[in-house]
Order: sequence, then structure tokens, then C-alpha cells
Amino acid sequence: MSRVALRLARRQARGGRRHLTALFACVALGVGALVAVGTLGAGLESTLAREAKALLGGDVELRAARPLPDDAEAALARLERSGARVVRVRELVGMARTMAGGGSVLVELKTPTAGYPLYGALSTAPAAPLATLLDDEGAVVQRELLDRLGLAVGDRLTIGEATLTIRGVVEAEPDRAASLVRLGPRVFLSPAALEHAGLVAFGSRVRYRVLVRLPPGLAAGDTRARLARDIADPGVRVAAYDEAQPGLRRFFSQLTSYLGLVGLASLLVGGIGVATSVSAFVARQVPSIAALKALGAETRTLVATYVIQTQVVALLASLLGAGLGLAVQPVLTAALAGLVPFALEPKPEPWTIGRAIVMGLATTLLCTWAPLAAVRAVPAWLLLRRDVEPAARGRGVRTLLPVTVGLAALALWQAGSLKIGGIFVGASLAALLALLALARGLTALARRLPRARGLAWRHGLAALQRPGGHAPRVVVALGVAVMLLVTVALLEGVLGRQIDYEQRREAPSFFFLDVQTDQVEDFARLAERTGGSRPVFTPVVRARLAAVDGARVTREVVERRRARDEDGRWFFTREYALTWAEAPPAGTVLTAGTWWTPAQGHARALASIEESAARHLGVRPGSRLTFDVQGVAIDVEITGVRRVDWQNLTTNFFFVLSPAALAGAPATWVATTRVAGEREAALQNAVVAAFPNVTAIPLRDVLERVAAVLGDIAVAVRLVALFTLGAGVVVMAGALAATRSQRLYESVVLRTLGATRGLVARAFAVEYGLLGAAAGVGGTVLATVLAWAVVRWVLDAPWSFDPTPLLIGLAATVALALAVGFLVTFRLLGQKPLPVLRRE
Amino acid sequence: MMIRVRDLVMRLESGGRPVTILDGVSLDVAAGEVVAVTGPSGSGKSTLLGLIAGLDTPSGGSIAVDGVDVTALGEAELARFRRRTIGFVFQSYHLIPTLTAAENVAVPLELASAAEPLPTAARLLGEVGLAERAHHYPAQLSGGEQQRVAIARAVALSPPLLLADEPTGNLDSTTGGAIVDLLLALNRERGSTLLLVTHDAALAGRAARAVALRDGRVVNGHHRA
Repeated sequence: MSRVALRLARRQARGGRRHLTALFACVALGVGALVAVGTLGAGLESTLAREAKALLGGDVELRAARPLPDDAEAALARLERSGARVVRVRELVGMARTMAGGGSVLVELKTPTAGYPLYGALSTAPAAPLATLLDDEGAVVQRELLDRLGLAVGDRLTIGEATLTIRGVVEAEPDRAASLVRLGPRVFLSPAALEHAGLVAFGSRVRYRVLVRLPPGLAAGDTRARLARDIADPGVRVAAYDEAQPGLRRFFSQLTSYLGLVGLASLLVGGIGVATSVSAFVARQVPSIAALKALGAETRTLVATYVIQTQVVALLASLLGAGLGLAVQPVLTAALAGLVPFALEPKPEPWTIGRAIVMGLATTLLCTWAPLAAVRAVPAWLLLRRDVEPAARGRGVRTLLPVTVGLAALALWQAGSLKIGGIFVGASLAALLALLALARGLTALARRLPRARGLAWRHGLAALQRPGGHAPRVVVALGVAVMLLVTVALLEGVLGRQIDYEQRREAPSFFFLDVQTDQVEDFARLAERTGGSRPVFTPVVRARLAAVDGARVTREVVERRRARDEDGRWFFTREYALTWAEAPPAGTVLTAGTWWTPAQGHARALASIEESAARHLGVRPGSRLTFDVQGVAIDVEITGVRRVDWQNLTTNFFFVLSPAALAGAPATWVATTRVAGEREAALQNAVVAAFPNVTAIPLRDVLERVAAVLGDIAVAVRLVALFTLGAGVVVMAGALAATRSQRLYESVVLRTLGATRGLVARAFAVEYGLLGAAAGVGGTVLATVLAWAVVRWVLDAPWSFDPTPLLIGLAATVALALAVGFLVTFRLLGQKPLPVLRRE
Repeated sequence: MMIRVRDLVMRLESGGRPVTILDGVSLDVAAGEVVAVTGPSGSGKSTLLGLIAGLDTPSGGSIAVDGVDVTALGEAELARFRRRTIGFVFQSYHLIPTLTAAENVAVPLELASAAEPLPTAARLLGEVGLAERAHHYPAQLSGGEQQRVAIARAVALSPPLLLADEPTGNLDSTTGGAIVDLLLALNRERGSTLLLVTHDAALAGRAARAVALRDGRVVNGHHRA
């Protein structure tokens, strides 16, 4: 039996080359997208795992915002005695400026002690030990700094009060991946040089890191646990290499998860193509199927025949798709190269590829379910009564339900999460139904419209209702692809406007950090003299949370917390910037409690807390918090909870305290000012020259860095979405090919009756153009809904709307539909009528 | 008795109204007999043939072929029954366009898991005079050649009953005559029963017995010497 089916499958495939080619292309594109994303994800994961020690800087890392406490130093000394190697690193931002008093640039400073790096390689030009290069007031900098300041190796630059000689360029730094967006180029300097610079002073934000390389026999996990036990202060974060860069890991896992869904969308669009092409293939085979049944072939054998055929083609297509997915890796990794601190190596994993192939085969099986049900329904008596249409086949709930359930299961599998998979399935079904309704509406409208004047319009409109229902398939397949691509464009637009400095008129040009109280007057005068608006000064007091409602924040409390709320831990241990204010800052929205009156504010120690901090700390109005400000405990009572728009580009704070709470506390000031674009550099240079301790953060520069990161991500998403568009085009070509003989006959009859080729071509154009327009309208409307939902729930950003991507999307879809339509059917126009009619 | 049909009724819907195609047909055909079913277009001849082959289910009546109640068989049993018992020749040949002549003939052999289906098919094509055309596709063959392939396919498993539905209907009279000669010769050689439907009086005249149908009823049936 199975041998018969195999043999039949091989032979019957001869007549279906065109249909099976469409199936092949659809499956190849879908599997290609999944393999592309899966391989990228596996590569990211394995690189992160392989480079984990280099990324962390050691087997174990201690990290704190203050110099390490005594118990930490003692624990480290014990480790060193047992053979561990220890490197201390301080990191902070500062300003680098040229000697001539010319340019200045915000830089990220790093001072490692001897022995750095413990893992991975720091690559410099000239290649020399870092300690040698940094010796005697040397500096090693990223090339970007040289370019921006017009300096070369051998030149001198100033950082704070120190003058350094540039001894080399750093080309790769193993443990630099704290965040996706960096504030400025790296400058390495020696600990002694940093002391000379005078930047590690009161109020400065220094990250103290201790990197530990353990001797053989000491496990990183055990050591981490022992250090956590030995060091009481929860503000000292202890991490083992396997927990390196949790933020980066989470970012990439989310990115690949979302990319995976885009890939899955292309497989599902391909599924429409699979169903269409197999359906057309089976329809062509009906007489053969009836003949085979009359010859005694069992339905089982015949169904098996087509399952074997489609699965073999799908398998070959999946293999090609896997190759395609691997082939685009260089493009994908190039797009994301700027986001990772190490060489991104795609990792072709058997599991990833195997899974994508199984997805391809399963999707093919599910999408051929309904067409193959038609094989079952072909009656043998068809041979005797060709004029009778066999009964409608396999469209009922009983056929479609298992298909829907199966595809949903595949989606859940790909998403790897019930929630995300569920949302994907729901959104896909909604999009599918919306596009189907649109296609139905279009054909219904075509039927009800008054008879069009022009022949081309009349025939074009009539063709939309052609039996076989190609219109819904084309609209759904192209619509989904358009939806994905336009969504990416809309999201880019929303985020782009959000971070477009030119459009943020209210935003300051600079944040100047660490202005000392005795510098405030001089600073304001200098800023105004150099063209800036009158600076707004906000006081900042650096503090750490010591107790919540009288309960001390200990490491034990934090670790317990971590188990159920990984993000929440951060709120207990981070270094806070506190400020004080009499009146609520502009735009404050209180979600609970009240703001103090001026009298209360000057009399009592009160605090207003940001709502996410309140949620994670588990506090409400009436709760008491204790802050540790340079060793002094400050008790405050929470009176209100605020909602903060973190994207408003002004100075925002988790805690605003009453003036009384911070009276006498050591404060520095953040100054913000706006200056015309052409005066920005001059202002920054003047400030940095006059106040070497002040750090200038140019907003335009930072926003441009953010935009570059978003641009890279958009390229990657768009690349995967192109697979969907490819599948959409194949579906359209397949759907039109399925109506080819009908079209041929009609065009020939029209021409026999005196119509010109031009008229027939125009009728085709009307049909294809309307199909494209429907897919374009549906796709762009759905894209707007999807983009809005993503902005609202995923990105948590304000929605803004620009119709340009919609118009471009619509026009491009119409153009694409016309192009694909004519490519598939233009040869019909050249056919001579008589031979066609004789065949009919 | 090879075929025993009793009170066969077939009603179908056509354009929304019920149409009676067969209206109480009874017919007996003995083993080895050659019987022609004649009648004008629409008289129900092809339907009768199809029902005997189990290609459809009648609205009423009974059909026994070689002692088997055809109307009682399920889908899979019917497929096996057709494979074992019946060879079918159609007016429009119904060769499978994607298979070569030899492969078309081999299909029933393969379905029955016969040994060496392709060499057997080639030998059968030789018997119908198409040894040279074994590797041609149906579209590359003339009408007469296609019908020869169809006949070779029908007799491939030497079924006890051959059913032929207007086997010469699409052919010119010379070719049609040759096809009838071939059909009768093969039938004789194999000692099978042949039931053929035709509205061609000359063809009907070559059968041992003719049964005439009109409006779904048997109007006469007589033996010839």
C-alpha cells in the first residue's frame, strides 16, 4: 500500500510542478525566516555564554557605588590568600578636552589596576601591556575621541585637573557592555592619574568594581554565595560570571523572541500559499483521482500519495530555507554588530534548524489538510457525469478547527511563552478575520456597484468575484506582509519623533552634572554669556536606602526580594539621586496622597515617591523610609506617590523630598540649559574649561546614539519581515496562477469579440490594482492598530502619528500587486485565440 | 450469474429538481456473455454501468456482481472489489495525463501489488499493438491509441467483468471498429463477461445480446444467435 502511494506520489508530481513550486517557495521562505532568527538567537546566547567571564571581567565581580566596606575588603584579602587574582576598576563619566582650550567630549573613564583584564583580551594599538601605556600620566582612548577632538596618538589632553598623554588606541574591550547606549568614547587612565584629575570627589558617580579570577578548585557559584554571606551591605552587588549582563541577555532574548514571531508570521503567510497551491493542484488532479478510484485505488492510498508528495517537497523546501536562513546571517549580525561588545558568531544549531524544519513540515501538513479532504470527496462517478459539480468539500468547522488548533500550537511552541504566544495567536486571528472581511467586502462591493462605464473597469471588477476565491487569499497574504513592514516604519516614526532632538523644543541642550554650590553663580553667568538660556539648577543629594518602615535593608531582605521580583531588587540597592522642592515639579501627577504645603515642607521631613518605586518597595503614603546620606541617616515620611513621564527629557527623580528633610545635606547641582545648535560646542567647551569638575551631557548626542541603536534593531526586524513579504508575493502569484486557464479563456473570448490586448491588460490592471489597494488599506490600518498597541503596552511611550508610512505602504502594495500580477499573466495576452478555443 | 440487477432506481437532483435517471431496471448477465446496453442520450445507460461498478450508490434496488452485493460495500471494500472484479473502459479514456502509457497500464497492477507491474504493462501494450508507444504520455497519443491504452489497463488484472462506456464514442468509425475488434478479442481470450454501453447500432450488433433503455426503463432485451 505505502509502496503504491510512494510510486504514485513520484509520478503524480509530474503534472504539478507549477503548484508544487509555489508550495516549495512558501515553505522555504517561512523556514528561512525561522532559521535566520533562531540561528541569530543561538549565536547570541552561545556567544554570551562563551564570553561570560570576559563580559563580567572575572569569575566573580563585586560592584558598588561607594568604596568597598571593610568586610568586603577582608573577604577579598582571604580570597587573594587562597590564590585568587583580584583587579580593581573604577568607572565614571567625565569630560576630556584638548590642551589648546578647544574641543571637549563627554567620555567614559576607566581605571583598572594591574592585571586587567583577567579574561578576554584588551586589544590596543600599539599592542603593549595596558599598565605600560598608562604609566606616567598616559591614556588609552577609543578612536572616536581622537576623531572628535582632532587629536592623534602622542598628543595631550586634559581630564579634570590632570593632563594626560595619549599613548594608544583601544580597539576591543572585553567587559564593556553595561548598556546598549553609551554616553561617550572610552578613556583608560591609571588610578594615580584619576586622583590627579580630582574627579573622584564629593557627589561624583563612580562605579567601583572588583574583578576576581579564582584559582582552580574554587567554584564561582560557591564563592559568590560566600562573598554574599560575608559582605553585609546589600549595596555591594556580587555576581558570578553565569549571571553576567542580565540586562543585555534579557534584551537579546526579547529581541529574538519578537523576531521569531515575525518569522512565524512569514511561515503562516506561506501556509496560505501552501493551501492555495495544493488546492489548485488537487483541483487539476480531480479527473485523475476519479480515474484512480474507478481503478480500485483506495482513498487512503490517494490521500497518502498527496501527503507524501507535499511533505517531500516541504522537506526539500525546508532544507533550502534553512540554507537561506543561514545565508542571511552576515546581514543580520552586521545590523546588530553595534549593539554587542564582541564578535557575533552565528551558530548553526541542529536543534534550531531541526525545529524550523519540523515547523515547515507541520505547517505544510496542517495547511494541506483542507485541500486533501477534497481528495477524499472526489467521487468515482465523476468520470461518468463530468457536468455535475461534486459536492462542496472540506470547509466546515470539522476541517478548519484542527487546522487552527494545530497552527496555534505551533505558534505557542515558537513563542516559547503562553502569554506571548496567546497574544500572537489572538492578534493573528484578528488580523486574518479583518483582512478576510475586507476581501469579502471588496467582492461584495464589486457586485453591487452600478455597471461601470468602461469595459476595462467592468471586467476588472467582475474578475474580483471569479470563482475559486483568489481575492481573499491575495488580500490576506499581502495584507499581513504590509502590516508587518508598515508597523516597523510606524514604530520607527513614533520612537524617532520621541528622540528627535530638533522636535523636542522644550528639551534642554545639556545636563551639566556635579556643579558645586559655590560654582552656581559663576556657572549661570558663563552659560548666559556663551549664548545659553538661564540655567535651571536642581539640587542633588546622593543617598542609599537604609530602611523601609524601620526594617533595615539587608542583603538577606534583598535576596528574598530577588526571588519573586528580580527587577525590584534594584530599587533596594541602587544609589539614589534625591532632590528637594517646595512645590511639585511641573507636570507632576499625584496618583496617591498629597503634596506638602510650603509650611509643612520647611518643618517636616517628607517625601514624594515615583509610582514604580513605590510598587517595588511596597510602600504607600504614611510609610517611612530611611536614607543613608554619606553615613547620616535621614528619616522621611511618604506623603504622596507620583507618576513620572521618564521620557520628558528633563531632570526626573524617584524621590523628591521636602526642603526640611535635606536641610544641611551635602548637595551638588544639575544645571540644564538650552542653546542654539551652532553654539552647543562653544558652550560645552567654555563650561568644561572653566569648571573641570563639571560633566556636560549633550542631549542631542545621546539621543543620536539612541536613534542609531533603534535604527540597527529596525534593520534586523525589517529583514525578517521581508521574508513575509516574499511569502506574500508567492501567495499572490500562486493564487493568480490558479486562475490562469480561466483568465486565458476569458481574454481570448474577449479578443475574439473584438477587444484589444490593451483593453484586456487594462481589465487585469483594474483587478490587480484593486487587490493591492485592499491589501494595502487593510495592512496599513492593521499596522496602525498593532503599532499603537506596541507603543502603548510594550514600549510605554506616547503615541504620535504620521500618515506618511501608510501612504507609502499603500502605494507600494498597489505597485507590487500590479507588478506581480502582470509578471504572472502577461504571457496570456500574447496567446492566439484560435488554438485556445479549439482546446476548450 | 455474473450480474444480477433488480428494480434499480437512481434519482438525482439537477438544477434543484429531482430527476429520475433509472426507474426500476432489472437485468441478468451470465458469465462470459457479451451484452450491449443501448438507448438514446440521457436514457440512463452510463449510470447503470457506473452503478454496477460501484462508482455511486443507487437510490433503490439491488446489484449483485459475481455474487457480491455491490450496494452493501463500504468505500474501502468497493475499491478492492473494483480492483479484483472489474475492468473499466471509458468514452473519454480517462488516462492519467501525468503518467506514460506503460505507467497508466501499470496502475491497477501496482494497486494489486502484482509482481513486475511495468514489464507486464509493456507486454499488455504489445497485445494492443502499442509496444512502441509505451513511454509516451497520453497527450502524445491519438484518440484510438489512448483507448487502446485504456483497454490494456482495463484487462491488466484479467477481471471477470469488463465494463465499457461508449468505448468508440470519441473515435472515427474505422478506429472505432478496430477498438471493438480488440475489445471482443481480448474478452474472448480471457473468457470474461463484457457489458458495453453504446448508442452505435453497428457496435451493439456485434454483441450477443442487446438491452435497450429508454427514460430509465428497459424497453427490450433479446438474444441473438
